[in-house]
Amino acid sequence: MNARAGRGEKMTEVPKIVYDRLGAAERDLQGRDALDPAHPNADLLTAFAEQALSPTERDGVFGHLALCGGCRELVALALPAEEVAAETAPGRPALIPAKAARSWRAVFAVPSLRWAALAAGIAIGCALLLVRPGTLNQAKLPAANPQIATAALPASAQQIASSPSDQSGPADGEIPKSERPSSKKIKAGRIASHTPQAPIGVAAETAASAGNNTAVRRSLPAEDTLMAKNDAPPIERAKPALQGSESAQPNVNLDVTWEVAGGVLQRSLDGGQTWQTAVRADHPLLCMASRKEDIWTGGRAGTLFHSADGGVTWVQVHPSISAQPLTLDVVHIELRDALEIAVSTSDLEVWSSPDGGKTWDKK
Amino acid sequence: MPKPSQSGHEANIAAALYERSGASAYGLSAGQFAAILDEILRKQVSSPSPGQRADFCAALRLEELALARACAAGNDLAWQDFISRYRQKMHSMALHITRDAAHAAELADSLFADLYGVSTRDDARRSKLVFYTGRGSLEGWLRTVMAQEFINRYRKQKRTVSLEEQTEEGVQFAAAVPDPADTPGRESTERLEAATDEALAELSAEDRFTLASYYLDERTLAEIARTLGLHESSVSRRLDRLAAGLRKRILAGLRTRGLSHAQAAEALETDVRDLQLNLRSRFVQDSGPRSFPKGSG
Repeated sequence: MNARAGRGEKMTEVPKIVYDRLGAAERDLQGRDALDPAHPNADLLTAFAEQALSPTERDGVFGHLALCGGCRELVALALPAEEVAAETAPGRPALIPAKAARSWRAVFAVPSLRWAALAAGIAIGCALLLVRPGTLNQAKLPAANPQIATAALPASAQQIASSPSDQSGPADGEIPKSERPSSKKIKAGRIASHTPQAPIGVAAETAASAGNNTAVRRSLPAEDTLMAKNDAPPIERAKPALQGSESAQPNVNLDVTWEVAGGVLQRSLDGGQTWQTAVRADHPLLCMASRKEDIWTGGRAGTLFHSADGGVTWVQVHPSISAQPLTLDVVHIELRDALEIAVSTSDLEVWSSPDGGKTWDKK
Repeated sequence: MPKPSQSGHEANIAAALYERSGASAYGLSAGQFAAILDEILRKQVSSPSPGQRADFCAALRLEELALARACAAGNDLAWQDFISRYRQKMHSMALHITRDAAHAAELADSLFADLYGVSTRDDARRSKLVFYTGRGSLEGWLRTVMAQEFINRYRKQKRTVSLEEQTEEGVQFAAAVPDPADTPGRESTERLEAATDEALAELSAEDRFTLASYYLDERTLAEIARTLGLHESSVSRRLDRLAAGLRKRILAGLRTRGLSHAQAAEALETDVRDLQLNLRSRFVQDSGPRSFPKGSG
C-alpha cells in the first residue's frame, strides 16, 4: 500500500512498521473509547482549526487527533472550501483540472524536465525585460494617504500595488489596463491552483484569542467591482492566495460579502456560494468591519489593514500613540462615522482614530 | 486591590463585553449575557482569576455568541440575521461536504431544523445553538457540526450496506488472520514494534498528527497545511524530516535491543507488515468518532 498514490507528491517513505504502529495506537484508543468516549467537541475543534486555541489546548487537541482517525476526518471535512470552490464553482471551470495539475506535477517531478522548465522560465523573463524594460517597478502605493500607506506593506506588495491614479489610467511605461494580458491573471490562477498558500503568521500559536467574525454584504456599482475592472487587489497579486477562482467573469452577481474566517479576510461575489481570499496577513486576521467603500480588517499582534476603495487596494495601518505601537490582538472594529474608527483589543482597550487611522487615542 | 474597586472593574469589563456583543439588539439583557459568559467560563476554565476571566471572555466571538444564544432563545430579529448570514452558506457548506446536491439539501435542512430546535426535552424546544460557545467562528462551528452529522449518517449507511458490499467483494471468504503468536520471527517483530513505539512517543503531538494525516489518512500536503496553518512546503519538509528521523530512531532503538546495525537495517526493511497492513486499513476505515462528550455540539 502506498499512501502517496493519487496524491502526486514525492515524499520520503516511512518504514511500514510506522504505519502499523500508528494504526495500532488508534486501535488502542478505540478500545478505551468503548469505556469512556471522550472526543473534542465541535467548539474546540472549530477553535483548533481556526488557530484560536492557547498553545496548551492546541497541543492537547493535537494529542487526541494523532490517535483518533475519526476526529482527523472531521477536522479535514470541516475545512473551509477554498480550493474546492475554485475548482468546482458553477460557471467557473477550473483553469487546470485537479487531475491535470497532478499530472503536471508528475511531469515536473522528473529532474531534467524541472531544470528545463526553470531555464525556459528564466529565458522568457529575460526576454520580457528586454522587450518592456522598466515596467516592473512602475506601480506605486497610494500617495493620497502617506501616513498609513505602506511602510509595512510587504516588499512584494509595494512593488505590485497600484495607486488609485494607476487604476484610472496607465502611468508612463506601464502596460495600459486594456492591454494588460489577462493571461497574467490566468497564469497566477494556474499557479495558485496547485501552489501552496501564503503562511499564516507564527503568532497564531502564541496566544488564545479570537475576535468578531463579521460578514458584511453590500452591493457595489458595476464600475467599482473587481470583476468589472478585471483587476485583482494588489495585495492578492502580492500574495496569490486563491487566484484560481479569480478569472474574471463579467456577468457575476455584484453582491460582495466579506468575512473573516480561518485567519484570512475572504470575499464572495456570488452571495456566499464561493469564497476567495482577499487579504492574508502575516498574522491571522480576526475581525472586519465595513461602511460603503471603507473596509477594515484586524487581527493578531496589532495587525490592521484598510481599503478605501471597496477592496481594490489595501494598506497596512500601524496604530501608535506616542510612538508606542499597538501590539495587542485587534478583536473588534467599529466604524463610527465616515472617518472615525475604533478598534477593541484583546485586553479590552479601545483605540480610536478620528481621522481614518492617521492619529490614534486610547481609552 | 480593595474589593469594591475590583468588582467595579469587573462590572466595567462586563459592560464592555456586553456592548461589544451587540446582545441588546437581540433582546438579551446584560444579566442574561453575563450568565451565558459565566456558564461558558465554568465549563472551559477551572477557577479562573479575574484576569484570566477577562482575557478568556474578550477572546470569544461575542457578537456571534450573542446571535447564537438569542436565536436559541427564539428572538425573531436574531433569526432574521442568522438566516440572512448563514442560511445560504449552510447549503454551500453542505454541498462542499457531501459533493451531492440532493444530500446537501437534506443535510443543510436537517441541521437547520436542529438549530431551530424541533427536538424537545421536557416539552421545551431545545436549539442546538446553545452548544455554541464562541471559541471559534459561528460559521466554522456550523461547518464542524455539519461535518459531524454527515459522518454519522455516512457511518450509519455504511454499516447498513456493509454486508451486501462484503458479499460482492467476497470479504466473507477472506482468509483468517493468523494468530500473531504463531507468526515466525515474533521476537524480532516485538523488538521492532517496541523500537517504533518508542520513536513515535518521542515525537510531539503535532508531529504525530502530521504523520497520521499523511500516511494513514492519505491527506494531501495542502489539506494538512491548511489544518496546521502552515505553508504546504513547510509540511513537505516536516514530513521528510520526520520520516528520516524516525528511521534513525528506530534503528537506534533496535541496536539498543541487541541487534547489530545490519540486522537492525534488515529488520526495518522487511515487509512482514503487509498482511497486518491490510488488517489495519480495515480497522482504520471503520474507525470514527462515535460520539462527542455529553453536552457537546
